[in-house]
Amino acid sequence: MNTNVKERNEKMIEKELLLKNPLHVLKRSTEDILPKCGFGAVLARAGVGKTSLMVQIALNTLLQSKNVLHISLNDPVNKVVLWYEEVFKNVSKEYDTKMVNNLWEIALTHRFIMTFQVEGFSVPKLEERLEDLIEQAIFFPHMVLIDGLVFDDSIHQPLLDLKELAKKLDVNFWFAVQTHREDKHAPSGLPNRLVQLKDLFDVAILLKSEGKNVHLQLLKGSDQNIDPANLSLDPSTMLINSI
Amino acid sequence: MKTDIKNVRNIGISAHIDSGKTTLTERILFYTRRIHTVHDVKGKDGVGATMDSMELEKERGITIASAATFCQWRDNQINIIDTPGHVDFTIEVERALRVLDGAILVLCAVGGVQSQSITVDQQMKRYQVPSLAFINKCDRSGADPSRVTKQIKEKLGHNAVVMQIPIGLEADFQGVIDLVTMKAVYFEGETGENLRIEEIPKDLSAAAMEKREELIDAASMFSDELMEAALEDRVTKDLLILAIRKGAMAREITPVFMGSAYKNKGVQPLLDAVADLLPCPGDVNNQALDMENDEEPVNLETDSNKPLVAFVFKLEDGQYGQLTYIRVYQGNIAKGKTIINTKSGKKIKIGRICRMHANQMEDIDSISAGFIGALFGIDCSSGDTLVDSELSLTMTSMFVPQPVISLAIVPDNNKSQINMAKALNRFTKEDPTFKTYVDEDTSETIIEGMGELHLEVYVERMKREYSAQVATGKPRVAYKETITQKAEFNYTHKKQTGGAGQFGRVAGYLMPINVESDESGFIFESKITGGSIPTQFIPACEKGFKKCLIKGPKMEFPVTGIKIVIDDGASHSVDSSEMAFQAAARGAFLEGYAKAKPIILEPIMKVVVETPTEFHGPVIATLNQRRGIIIGAQDEGPICIVESQVPLAEMFGYSTVLRSSTQGKAQFTMEFNSYKEVPHSIAKELLTKAEKAKK
Repeated sequence: MNTNVKERNEKMIEKELLLKNPLHVLKRSTEDILPKCGFGAVLARAGVGKTSLMVQIALNTLLQSKNVLHISLNDPVNKVVLWYEEVFKNVSKEYDTKMVNNLWEIALTHRFIMTFQVEGFSVPKLEERLEDLIEQAIFFPHMVLIDGLVFDDSIHQPLLDLKELAKKLDVNFWFAVQTHREDKHAPSGLPNRLVQLKDLFDVAILLKSEGKNVHLQLLKGSDQNIDPANLSLDPSTMLINSI
Repeated sequence: MKTDIKNVRNIGISAHIDSGKTTLTERILFYTRRIHTVHDVKGKDGVGATMDSMELEKERGITIASAATFCQWRDNQINIIDTPGHVDFTIEVERALRVLDGAILVLCAVGGVQSQSITVDQQMKRYQVPSLAFINKCDRSGADPSRVTKQIKEKLGHNAVVMQIPIGLEADFQGVIDLVTMKAVYFEGETGENLRIEEIPKDLSAAAMEKREELIDAASMFSDELMEAALEDRVTKDLLILAIRKGAMAREITPVFMGSAYKNKGVQPLLDAVADLLPCPGDVNNQALDMENDEEPVNLETDSNKPLVAFVFKLEDGQYGQLTYIRVYQGNIAKGKTIINTKSGKKIKIGRICRMHANQMEDIDSISAGFIGALFGIDCSSGDTLVDSELSLTMTSMFVPQPVISLAIVPDNNKSQINMAKALNRFTKEDPTFKTYVDEDTSETIIEGMGELHLEVYVERMKREYSAQVATGKPRVAYKETITQKAEFNYTHKKQTGGAGQFGRVAGYLMPINVESDESGFIFESKITGGSIPTQFIPACEKGFKKCLIKGPKMEFPVTGIKIVIDDGASHSVDSSEMAFQAAARGAFLEGYAKAKPIILEPIMKVVVETPTEFHGPVIATLNQRRGIIIGAQDEGPICIVESQVPLAEMFGYSTVLRSSTQGKAQFTMEFNSYKEVPHSIAKELLTKAEKAKK
């Protein structure tokens, strides 16, 4: 296989992987769903698939050769790595292993995982760490994912601080937000306790487990006229069942 | 040895570097009266810990070879293997775990679950070794046993259940509360030998009650009787211990103990737990493979009257001659008995038998099933199985990783050369990850191993123990070559002018294969039909190809990940010979190889650095400068763990760099991860170097 054909093949797989991503259905293009310095949230009850979807959002960006910083406040680095391997394996299993491996190797260079203990996490600390990386030209994120942040009454100020950080660094942030059985919901579909934070977010996606499928409901942002029936995900891979 | 097998415990103590496992072993030996004074690992008295028997270990404050020792606690005989913590010596840990029935995982109350703890834990999983956790160094500032317990759950995935809670912490650490007996235990006397048992301090009674509830909850999953008793509020000590033991033996509960070995606190309750909670040899199901029955697994019984099955897990050439450490799984080994080494088929007559206590020993008459001991003057390698003549069983072989680094060594004089040969002969027998060969081109002796420190230690031992003065070359990375695409070949070897002629034509193709799917990295297949290559010459073709793999055509590195298929050829009734076909295969290989886009592979190491958080940036920078991919950074409060993948070639001298950029406060571990393609720029450099060396 000459180099051009190989490159073309890799590009093709890359494109197909991007097309299968649920984000594509939301935006109808593979461009970033968030505006500049925007905030996105993936809401779901425990165990429905927040992390899996977040990892897909990250892969979507990684495959565009953009840097992703994944911050986990729950899991150790090894476990986060496993999430990526698992999701990538699922989305790429139909393709030539060697090509896929090459894509994966490239994607790895664009990913940085940071883990904190929930109680040890603070915005100034994150900023300090990021500055370390940026100043030494080691890593400059295009997107930051935060998984495990507790959205309780005290979250408003840290989110404002993160918004400042997003502007300063010119990056997008995605958050995994855990909802609870006892949450009461506003007409927008958002849990009441998060309504006051609504303005901070540009996109909010709710994952709901219904029967054998996981449904994806767009609570805020992007093309809101999408038929929700289309947005069912296979819970084992979190990929779209059919478009 | 007359001890009842139910009272025998074969245990190992494994942990991360500097978690204090050697100190803990030292204290265990002291409390069990095997030694009468305690010495610190890096002690000012210059004696060093008893288990660190080698001079070098004493000097460096590390444990290299696992010394086997035994001690008596209550009615129990405990055989302990002290295992090394550094990744470079992991084979020692693996061997130790192979023969153990239980283990103590020592964790630092400050450092918590560190990278090496994860590695040893994976090894324990591989051999299904039940374990207890001991959170050591509770007297240190920053000690937090509850955080460490949480880490055991999260990072190691264990169902960790605390058996004690601390009374005070850091400088104020006084003792522990035993959640089974609900008593406070204080350790008094100069060396903590006097236990003072008291009622639980009032301020801790609520916390103790809560933790005891959790303990009973977890344990009741393994005993209906306990569950009933818990409901009726009549839980007894025996009932609780029995249930925990059941859970621990199934590796479904990991009981957590705490203390400070250095400050002589918490060691005796740990010994009680070893006796109460870890299995005896009879509780463990061990299997051997029947060589005569297609390697069918056979269950072994811990019965001294059955035919013998013993496993050689360590060789040591010390002041008393060669010592062979064995574990007897079934039957019994006695003085004067004749046994067979399954691998070599050789008969062995047993001479002296002993049991070891670090570097002192005690002569005994026999070793019964379930025990660990040592034999004298036996010719065998580690991993061999010793059996009675009527059996042909072998214990499953151990997993041995391939070496990733090599070093040329040149003896200074003739005497050193003789001594060096002796030393190498012993080291290679003792340690399967240490290999040696003579380079045909340069006539240099090359030693291979698992890391810089691994080889350094052997060179040092050569000098000290064998007075072999050797000069070492620069460490060399074990690069490999492979191909990236399918390519065809059709080569005719023809030499028919004058003298005996040579003729052979070989045609077919070579293609890349995944090395993981075939460990040898080479598959040969013949699809020859119609006798275009006569059957008797096909092995010669394979031999010819195999020879080519030793030194790859691109850069003379071994070739791996290749499948060669021959599907056509030609022969001559007079001029074809084995030699002609070997030469034809060589020509065919070179022809195909050049077209198959060969690349160079280099070993990539998983490097984990633990550093105080203030050096997080500089540490990542040092790894980044070494072509490292940073996988992630884990914030653990005062320390930060940076995980990365770095090419081994870039890791030489890293410890010095790390020390200078972190004021000596960071430490790192390194282990082999995978082979990956060398970037083009580096491949070019290697090529230039190789060409220069050729000239």
